Amino acid sequence: MESAQTLLMAGQVYVWIGLAVAVVFLGWGLDRIDAKGHGSWMFRPLLVPGVILIWPLVLWRWQVLARENDNLQNRHRPPLTTQRLMGLGLVLAIPVLIAGALLLRQDGPLERPAVMLETAAETSSNE
Amino acid sequence: MSDRYVPVQWNPNKWLYDAVLIACVAAYILIYLNLGNPAADVTRPADGAIVRMRAFGTCAFFMLTAILCIGPLARLDRRFLPLLYNRRHFGVITAVVAVTHSTYVLNWYFAFSPTPRLEALLGANTSYGQLLGFPFEAFGVFALIVLAILAATSHDFWLNFLTPPVWKRLHLMIYPAYAAVVAHVVLGYLQDTKNPAFALVFGAAALSVAGLHLAAHLKDGAARRAKGAWIPVARPQDISDSRARIVKMPDGRRAAVFRDGARIGAVSNACAHQNGPLGEGRVIDGCITCPWHGFQYRLEDGCSPPPFTEKVPTYDLRLQDGVIEIAAEANAPGTPVTPLDVPEASDV
Repeated sequence: MESAQTLLMAGQVYVWIGLAVAVVFLGWGLDRIDAKGHGSWMFRPLLVPGVILIWPLVLWRWQVLARENDNLQNRHRPPLTTQRLMGLGLVLAIPVLIAGALLLRQDGPLERPAVMLETAAETSSNE
Repeated sequence: MSDRYVPVQWNPNKWLYDAVLIACVAAYILIYLNLGNPAADVTRPADGAIVRMRAFGTCAFFMLTAILCIGPLARLDRRFLPLLYNRRHFGVITAVVAVTHSTYVLNWYFAFSPTPRLEALLGANTSYGQLLGFPFEAFGVFALIVLAILAATSHDFWLNFLTPPVWKRLHLMIYPAYAAVVAHVVLGYLQDTKNPAFALVFGAAALSVAGLHLAAHLKDGAARRAKGAWIPVARPQDISDSRARIVKMPDGRRAAVFRDGARIGAVSNACAHQNGPLGEGRVIDGCITCPWHGFQYRLEDGCSPPPFTEKVPTYDLRLQDGVIEIAAEANAPGTPVTPLDVPEASDV
């Protein structure tokens, strides 16, 4: 339980920091790094959960864009190799997980399910 | 396409897509609630809350399975491309269904816990050192966090802000999340259920994800990286009108060489919006059109027509002995390049 408490406490701290980053970024920072956001406010509440969840990534991208260090060519380098490797990982993981779990089961998943031979009413009338 | 951010970019196709999706989810939940209880083991009849929990849990699993099948299906057969068009809304609805499942879990199994419910969930079973009785809830929590991150970062702002490659890397977490969902089910419900129908349907669904990804991998594996400063592509007449030939460049990137009548031009194969495969799109009204979301770029400079501001890198081309050759180095996004003029190609 202590580990669970520590984990949840760490999660709460992470969320509070994320909330603070969201207020500053969405209220002030976004307009300075993205022209498409100028004068557009309705979409910003939708971004709050995202900022809270990935605020370290938000801070990194914010400083890259604020310093105009963004390499435009990198926007056109999709991670195709990573995607293929992760897809292959899934191809291997799924059958291993399913076969492993069926082997682990103490009885097979295809045995005949239990069947109620008589209803509760019949049981009480027999007594 | 839009020149400023709006909360949600609706259009009739997206309305239809979402309406069909929500109707399917509602139908699945209603059918499960009606059929799920009688199908449960009669020696341990399930309570209503448990049936509802299972209805939303299995629904989220099948939705995630469908999402992961759309990508390889669209690569294998273009007729599945329309399913890919609004996949982000599909993901957000899946996250909502998964959260509903977890809410039922917390409010049923931990309803009367003396400790806070989340704490009780994380601390109730800590047998991480053994396979039999492994705390499968941890896999579900991991998958739920990933789904929440992916849903929360689905707005177009995130694509532009993070850049499509970083956004894509973040969203590749869907793969470990799906593996975690499979582990969550096989180490949890599948260890206990006496219902063979679920085991069979679940196994078929999960293995279809694996099979489709393998098939798509084998199909893509045929392309090899080219070498040299100029790379031969094809004869002009070998490229269908309004279509492209995709070339794997020495630096690992891909370029798309388009023919629009007698004009031939080349741009990066990665769309500026979501890095969709431009080379699988068409030239419509003189503009290269992405097959995923319809973003458009001019053939001569890789820029979206005004008022839009998206740009993709262009490539120099030359005609050598009747064969189109493409420069290995990409130009900066939006660099004008005069298209090759090959009148004889349009006569074919």
